[in-house]
This record gives sequence, C-alpha cells and structure tokens, in this order.
Amino acid sequence: MSDHSSTDYPANWGGGVSPLKVSYGKLFMWFFLISDALTFSAFLSAYGFMRHKFSGTWPEPSKVFHHFPFVEKELPLAYVGLMTFILIMSSVTMVLAVEAGHRKDKNAVLKWMFLTILGGFAFVGSQAWEWFHFITGTEHGAWKDVIVDGKVVHQIVKGANLTFNEYGNSLFGAFFFFITGFHGFHVFSGVMINITIFIMVARGVMEKRGHYEMVEKVGLYWHFVDLVWVFVFTFFYLL
Amino acid sequence: MEFHDDFPQYELRDQHDEAEGKKQRRRLWNVFWIMLGITVFELSLGSYAASKGFDKTALKVIFISLTIVKAYYIVYAFMHLGHEVKSMKWIIIGPYTTFILYLVFMATVTEGNYSAVHKVSPPDKVYAMPTPAELEKAEATEHEEAAPVKTGNAAEGAKKE
Repeated sequence: MSDHSSTDYPANWGGGVSPLKVSYGKLFMWFFLISDALTFSAFLSAYGFMRHKFSGTWPEPSKVFHHFPFVEKELPLAYVGLMTFILIMSSVTMVLAVEAGHRKDKNAVLKWMFLTILGGFAFVGSQAWEWFHFITGTEHGAWKDVIVDGKVVHQIVKGANLTFNEYGNSLFGAFFFFITGFHGFHVFSGVMINITIFIMVARGVMEKRGHYEMVEKVGLYWHFVDLVWVFVFTFFYLL
Repeated sequence: MEFHDDFPQYELRDQHDEAEGKKQRRRLWNVFWIMLGITVFELSLGSYAASKGFDKTALKVIFISLTIVKAYYIVYAFMHLGHEVKSMKWIIIGPYTTFILYLVFMATVTEGNYSAVHKVSPPDKVYAMPTPAELEKAEATEHEEAAPVKTGNAAEGAKKE
C-alpha cells in the first residue's frame, strides 16, 4: 500500500540490510555448523545408548587408549589429552589469524594460518597413530568367540576391526571408527580449506577485497571442529 | 534505499586498530590458558579416579559441566558469537543447547536408568558379519517357516468367511 521510500526506513524494516548484522556468508556458515552438529550429536547419543545397553561388555576407554609414543609405561588417555591440546592450540592460532585479518595485517594472517595448518596435520597424524594402535592391538590379545565360516570358534583375537575387537563389545570398535573417523575427516577437510584460503591470502585476493572475512568463515569451521572434539573427548573417552 | 547484494558494512564491522587488537589478543590467550587448565584437570582427575576410586555420578557431572564451560569459551570467544547481536546469538545457541541437553540426558539421566533395568549381561559374545553362505541358509529357512504360517492364516480366514 504505502510506498517504501527511504524516508520511512527507520520505522519499518525495508530490506537491504541484515537484521542480524552479519553477512550472508557468515550466517550460512553458522547454519551449516548447526546441521553438522546434528550429525555428530546423533553419533554421540547412539554411542551413549549402546554403551548403556551393553555396559556389561563395554570396555573402559581409559584402559584401551593408554599408549604414548616412546613411553613403555601405560599412561591412560595422555595421548588423547595431547591431541586435545594440539587442536585447542590450532584453534588459538586460527583465532589470532582472524584477529590479524581484522587489522588487515597480511603477514600476520599468513603466519598464524600456517601454524593452524601445521596443527591440523599434527592432529590428523596423531589420529592415524591412535588408529594404528587400536587396530593392531596388544601383544597378548584376548580370548573371544569369533564366527569363522559359519562356526563359532574360541580363539585369541588381537586388535580391532569393524566386526570384532579384543577390548570388549564389537560395537565399541565400530563406534570408535565412525566417530573419530568422521571427526578426522572434518579435520582433514578443514586443513584443505585452510590451505586454499592461505593461498588466496598469499596471492592478495583478500587485500583486493578490502576485508579478510573469508578467514573468519573458515575460522568458524575450524573452531567447530575443535568444539566437536571437546564433546567427543568427554563423551567417548572420559565418561 | 539502494539495495546491495553484497553489503560491505558487515564484513568491515569487526575491523579494528592495533590498540584494540592488543586487548583482544590478551583476552584470547587468557581463554587458551583456561582451556588448557581444564583439560589437564580433567585428565588428572580421570587417572586419579581410575586408581583411587571415585563416585561415578559425581565424576560424570564434573566432566560434563567442564565440557560445557569449554564449549562456552570456544563459541563465545573463538567463534565471536559474544560479539553478535542478541537475535543472532539465540538463533545459534538454541539448537546447540537442544543437542547438548539430549546428549547429557543420554549419558546420565534417562538412559542410565534404562540400562539399569534392561541391562544386557555377559556372556561376552562377539557378533560377526554373517558369511554369504550363512545368509543364503537363513533366507532358505525363512521361506520354509513363512510358508506354513501363510496357509494357516488363509485357512483361518476361510473359516471366518
């Protein structure tokens, strides 16, 4: 009815500006992160449910993950703690890159993003190391009933795969591979995206744009990966 | 008012000078030390509980609340949600809170009680994937069993008619 001229703009929201005061790219990164959180909470709640249901045969994660490189002694969850430290550290370097972007300090952005990428690779490598030890298992193994060619055979089982593991209920191994694997794939993708943005910053694309918001957007994704790990650390390893 | 598809103001909104940057960096490093402290505390509490024995429920409550503290710092300080407008904050925090509450209930309250009633006790049986031969056998027996049931139902149906 009434013509929306610029004069009545303050009284009625006439479009053209965001009521949330964020750019659409950042807003949709947040929406993506919410939908991604849905997937991870599905994994973790399924894990919690199965863990309670089979609590008789469910292994204690602190008794499974006690290896540490170059240390003979058993250090329960110390390596997972180190991985958490690496990821939180890389989150800090990422947020420092974002802060440098707000000052349009190109060299500082490059420095902190480079350290973030290194941290990401360190985390993925640590996860590979942990998977290796989980899959190969202990020296002595454990006696298990395993179905071989349709017959139940009582034999020594070493390590873990998707169908059985020496630590306890077979679902434990499956959940370990799915939850940490899905998270590790997120970290890997995050590193690839970080490298892309690193190259773009180095070539001066953001300088030409006049702002470094792209660094902030990938930063959001990277912090989300850290956020998920905080929950995986508690709900998978600690509890 | 002219409409901008790529409105530049929002991208520039968070830009600041060196003095403000220095303040922000100090705040971020403080957050880092808090997070590190929490993680070290969690690990030492975990190993202490494993060796000395500790009330399981209390341990769960401590771990989960510390996790939520860490999540708060990540989302508010690292992801800058604390700097956004109020409606934006609630749009993001609302769904996240729902997921987290569900996880907490799954880990402690409802399902913990469920498992106490419907616990699957050992024998420690290992469930392996059936071989193709087994699957074929299972299918064959299924058909055999299904067939008489069908005729029985048909007979009953005929009687009723």
